[in-house]
Amino acid sequence: MKISELNQIICCIFFAAVFMFLNSSEALAESRSYKRSVEKYNIPDISLVNQNGKKVRLRSLLYGETPVVVDFIYGTCTTICPVLSAGFVNLQRNIDTKGGSVRLVSITIDPENDTPKVMKEYLKRFRAKPGWDFLTGSRADIDTVMKAFNAYIPDKMQHYPLNIIRNPKDNSWVRLFGIMSSKEFMEEFQAVAGKHKK
Amino acid sequence: MIIKYLPFLISILLATPLYSAPLTPDEDLSQSDIMRLGEQMYRNGVLPSGEYMPAYIRGDTEVDSGAFSCSSCHLRAGLGSYEGGVVTPPTTGRKLYEPYRRPPSLGDTVDQTGRYIYAKTVQERPSYNRTTLASALRFGVDPVGQKFNDVMPRYPLSDRDMTILIRYLEFLSHEPSPGASSSEFRFATIITDDVSPEERKALLNPLQNFMDRKNQQLALYNDYIKFGYIPTAEMKYAFRKASLDIWDLKGDPSTWRKQLENYNAAKPVFAILGGISNQNWKPVHDFCESERIPSLFPITDFPVVSDTSWYTYYFNKGYAQEGEGAAKYLNRLIEDADTKTVLQVVQDSEVARALASGFENSWKEMERSPIKSIKLTAGELADNKTLNKILSSRRTSVLLLWADAETLPQLKKTLSRLKGRKIIFMSSGYLGKKAADISDEVRKNIYLTWPYRLTPYIGPQTGQFDARVPIVTSVKDFGESRITSRTVAMLLQAALQGLNKIYDNLYRDHFMDVMSMQMDLTVRDYERLSFGPGQRYVSKGCYIIQLGHGKNPELIPRSEWVIQ
Repeated sequence: MKISELNQIICCIFFAAVFMFLNSSEALAESRSYKRSVEKYNIPDISLVNQNGKKVRLRSLLYGETPVVVDFIYGTCTTICPVLSAGFVNLQRNIDTKGGSVRLVSITIDPENDTPKVMKEYLKRFRAKPGWDFLTGSRADIDTVMKAFNAYIPDKMQHYPLNIIRNPKDNSWVRLFGIMSSKEFMEEFQAVAGKHKK
Repeated sequence: MIIKYLPFLISILLATPLYSAPLTPDEDLSQSDIMRLGEQMYRNGVLPSGEYMPAYIRGDTEVDSGAFSCSSCHLRAGLGSYEGGVVTPPTTGRKLYEPYRRPPSLGDTVDQTGRYIYAKTVQERPSYNRTTLASALRFGVDPVGQKFNDVMPRYPLSDRDMTILIRYLEFLSHEPSPGASSSEFRFATIITDDVSPEERKALLNPLQNFMDRKNQQLALYNDYIKFGYIPTAEMKYAFRKASLDIWDLKGDPSTWRKQLENYNAAKPVFAILGGISNQNWKPVHDFCESERIPSLFPITDFPVVSDTSWYTYYFNKGYAQEGEGAAKYLNRLIEDADTKTVLQVVQDSEVARALASGFENSWKEMERSPIKSIKLTAGELADNKTLNKILSSRRTSVLLLWADAETLPQLKKTLSRLKGRKIIFMSSGYLGKKAADISDEVRKNIYLTWPYRLTPYIGPQTGQFDARVPIVTSVKDFGESRITSRTVAMLLQAALQGLNKIYDNLYRDHFMDVMSMQMDLTVRDYERLSFGPGQRYVSKGCYIIQLGHGKNPELIPRSEWVIQ
């Protein structure tokens, strides 16, 4: 073994150890970096428009046998939304691998700009699979939906990271404020949905 | 714990061939190569190899850097942002290689009902160097071990790629842009020679007033200091001398670029404020794009409609936005099977072509089958024989009539040739005040595009006084150029906010970044102006309206402001 190769292995082990230490000390200090609560929401009976330009009744989309995860994002967001969407895409992939099913619903908070074209390109960028819909609509309807989920913000620049999971068994919603790891997100989903199969 | 972070750790092991080697610039790469490749990594998340940069959030959540890159949060100029409760700090070498300290804020201690600053910067850190910066990008820790918020991805880059990225950051926003100094901003506005003296005055009055006010405020500020007033550290950035040059463009538009280059070479400016032309704005747009000069809200009906242009902000897409509004309304109205019954008639004029282009682009975007479109001269439209012949030869239920007011006397006959729905779309902007001449008996069949405010506006009309009564839109406003009110809106809301918030970061790209992160605005002429990274047409709406009865008819909305 050359000296440089040995050097390389030692360095890698060192940095791996540093990284684990940093994250394990964080884990001791704070077991969960997001807030969790169980809520009941009254979903308004309105229609929104999806990424294919089709009108969809929100209740039909959310009320079903399949567990649903909702978030609020916008197509040109620079910070929280891409992180939330990375969570969605990983969740979708993980559930798919385990043979389960989930309906992912992103609702825009920028209905002025988020046309079906913008939403479609956004989903494509994140390599979303079927089962993840991005919805827009009139500002009045979007405001109504945000209020129904206690997630109203008057301006998109004030938004915050929020995932809401619907339990199809009792129609309750688990509200998760903050950024989760894929593992945490999957655990939260499974706690609500059980081992839901296709 | 090990399993949770396994993907990240494997990436680190694979991507760190010689981490202990000092970070030095690659000898096989020129400075321009490093800048090009670094920009590709920073803006697009693409490695020199062409692969996407690997990235992880919270250890195990893989992020595709093609979906969001460094510039998504740190923005193009690298000076960071505040959005969605996330404070993103600067990431330029100039800022990173110096110590950082910020004053305490409410978000440090208080959870304000869950809607607080979710991710804030550390309060204090020492300077980075290349080694600690590489460590920060790989592991998310600063030079003294403080851990970054989870929204910041960790990048397991190879040494070579890391070197390129760091070298790029060192040069990012390194030198202040021309036209700005710690004591002065130089601006210009652009006026083409087709503009009337009245229009020129309507533009220049608010601009000159803005300069006078800024300079007067500076004088007051200096007086306060003379008398012992001690300003806060940031206050001085709001008070700078401002000057305005007028770049008059003459002759054929093909000569404008040369004229602009001469003006800019003689006395470069930080940004173009407003401007006006009745011709196509494209030559100016292209000049600003290539010279990277911000251009804020020119008064034009013919802007460049582009998803990728960066340096010009427009109020909206001009006539193209009216065509787009008609397309979106019609999209909801008719099924695919009826597309063959739609006919677009385009007068041979730049206005009509812009309307048709807006319609067609939007129609295509919505993946609808193409519609039949024909072009007619003003003469052909005025005597109506040609149009009647065309209408007689086919079944038409919806007519998009992009023509001027000379066609109005023929509307009744034209309508009689339509079948089924019997709807005609026309442009309020193209018809102007003469829209009131549309006879009462056909008004129920005529739908007009209206890209301005319809709800009453209560607020300052021109920035000079507060209106006592709501300003209500009427047919008399059709065709109004709204030069002064729109220029005031641009100056007092958008531009001023941007200029005050760039502090001592005198970079044009940063100015554009700050402008894009503004909250929505309510102004006199539009229902809402909304911003966002990459968004360059800030008014997105266009009503479809119908006229009520009489000489001063009610404007009846048939759609929302933004049609989805």
